[in-house]
Amino acid sequence: MTHHPGGAVLLPLLAVAAAFVVGCLVDLSRARVRNLPKWGWAVIICITIPWGGLAYLILGREWARPGLSAPPPPTVPGVTASAASAASAASVTSVTSVPRRAVTDPVVIEVDRLTKRFGSVTAVDDLSFAVRPGTVTGFLGPNGAGKSTTLRVILGLDAPSSGTALVGGRRYQEFARPLHEVGSLLDATALPAGRAAWFHLLALAQSNGIGKRRVMEVLELTGLETVADRRTGEFSLGMKQRLGIAAALLADPPVLLLDEPVNGLDPEGIRWIRQLLRAMAADGRTILVSSHLMSEMAQTADHLIIIGRGRLLADTSTADFVSGTGQDVRVLSPRAGELASLLIAGGAAVTPEYDGGLAVTGMDAAAVGDLAVKYGIAVHELMARHASLEEAYLALTGVSTDYRAGSSLPDAPTAAAVR
Amino acid sequence: MTPAQLQAAGRPALPQQTVPSRLVRARDALASEWTKLRSLRSNRLTLAIAVVVTLVLTAVVAETFASAPGAGNHPASIDRLAGSFLAYAEYTVLPVTVLSVLVFTSEYASGLIRTTFSAVPRRGTVLAAKAAVTGAAALVVGEVLAFACFFLTQAILSGGHGGLSLAHPGALRAVLAAGFTLAACALVGVGAGAVIRHTAGAIAAAVTVVYLLAVLCLALPAPWNIRLGRFTLPYAAYAEVTGHPPAGLLSPWLSLLVLIGWPAAALLAAAAVLTRRDV
Repeated sequence: MTHHPGGAVLLPLLAVAAAFVVGCLVDLSRARVRNLPKWGWAVIICITIPWGGLAYLILGREWARPGLSAPPPPTVPGVTASAASAASAASVTSVTSVPRRAVTDPVVIEVDRLTKRFGSVTAVDDLSFAVRPGTVTGFLGPNGAGKSTTLRVILGLDAPSSGTALVGGRRYQEFARPLHEVGSLLDATALPAGRAAWFHLLALAQSNGIGKRRVMEVLELTGLETVADRRTGEFSLGMKQRLGIAAALLADPPVLLLDEPVNGLDPEGIRWIRQLLRAMAADGRTILVSSHLMSEMAQTADHLIIIGRGRLLADTSTADFVSGTGQDVRVLSPRAGELASLLIAGGAAVTPEYDGGLAVTGMDAAAVGDLAVKYGIAVHELMARHASLEEAYLALTGVSTDYRAGSSLPDAPTAAAVR
Repeated sequence: MTPAQLQAAGRPALPQQTVPSRLVRARDALASEWTKLRSLRSNRLTLAIAVVVTLVLTAVVAETFASAPGAGNHPASIDRLAGSFLAYAEYTVLPVTVLSVLVFTSEYASGLIRTTFSAVPRRGTVLAAKAAVTGAAALVVGEVLAFACFFLTQAILSGGHGGLSLAHPGALRAVLAAGFTLAACALVGVGAGAVIRHTAGAIAAAVTVVYLLAVLCLALPAPWNIRLGRFTLPYAAYAEVTGHPPAGLLSPWLSLLVLIGWPAAALLAAAAVLTRRDV
């Protein structure tokens, strides 16, 4: 460089550039930055003179804006895992970290007036609900109802058009190591096909400061330890679902968000996940599981949040949802016609069924039997029936299904009835 | 699994939850991305093939130079310095650029990017870590291979017209810059992948910056071919490695700025869009 003809010009230039870099770095150490972490900006400032410094000043530095005070730096009280597992209330405080809520108010996931638009399509429309710990909460809705969009907003992947979605009173993006706060499974098939399961989990663990021993533990927990060195592209759907669960459990989080975790699983796999979720809820964790199948949720969830076309349709306990559904009595008799007129005279409503049986509403099974005995009519079959959860769910969501086949489908009349 | 088993297996002593420092988070992100980079068999395989092909073709090019008739009488007719990197410029730079594009686009294609961003919600951190790891790996591979290509070529040439040593004016700069160019192209690939997200489109964009812009400029009428072309990556890299610079090229120091400018622009564009977009 000493032989360079322009050395006399270059040296002062270099001095100016060096001063600029040092100035930028000093400023960087004090200012609030965006887009990149501070060390990222430091690297860019140092290696791309002078553009890095200019880019930092334009793109990276948070210039003070009036009315936008900086949020206080998060100070998380250290809550050990053992303390968190001691009581469900304690596990809530470990999630909230910032004592914005009293321990007596156990809302962990709070979606408030959330709206998400994609162009002209409103995927989530003014949706509000809360999820509490110690229960499995089913998040139900037909395909395209906005379940996955809601979960993506909760996880900070999609920005809401309006409204908020908080976990433990904080936005997901504020978590420094979110796997310790929320375990999630959005899409079990979203795996690096060429990477072994072990390395997939290891990379995920390292990003949140989790050790190799824990990776081994979740592999054993999900029964994948023997296939850990196989590439995920070779996995069956069931194994992928287990790997997704393993990833969600990596940091043993107090909150779990699972999107359609049993889709495509065999009965044994479904039972495994169901038992797992029940056990985790019994452990005091907060669990939100989405599904478009009512029958599956009926056996797993304590609480149901049902949405259709992005709007809240029901927010109720599973038990209430069951008892709120209609019920009728089925009676089969060789003298069905006579019995029907007697029942109608007695104030019941009667609908003939395909095999000659009668569906009776407005009268319980005992009254139907008594009536038949009183008039000497033989009864071959008498049964009180609850409308299935599936039917109640279809009735509720039928009007808000986005994509539906022709009206020949059996849910069309129920949908009409709701209207 | 029974609840009892879950209790036993699922609740081991976890590290205490405190907010880790920036340095710790940076270290975590770098470790994670390094694991991702090294655990893909296709990465290792592609790189190995690229290295072998580059070394073989470098030897072939050097042999051709060495046996060129009458070349010894006109030393200037053969650029013994730039000639060392002829094979490297295509058979290493192109595969490494494509692998770098895949750093982001493969995650977008599989949906894994959602897992990545839900594990590290600060997307700038993910970008910086991916760029740092990919750039560092490309720099190491590039420098090692550049030195190998240089010594291989000079060893073969020493049989014919005499090879150069590293002490030859401009030789050390040429070798170091050749290695650095690989890192620059890799970072262009990372940035293009993050901005465009789709593999095919991102590869097209990266290859356009890394190669095609120079070819387009070549087609312009003189003197505009050099006037514009000298700001493209291949011309800038050529200005670094040539022993006989043609008129109109930028000086090696200004060319270094060009070599830094393209990846910096790509990464800044990536930083700007990543934080604003839904995943």
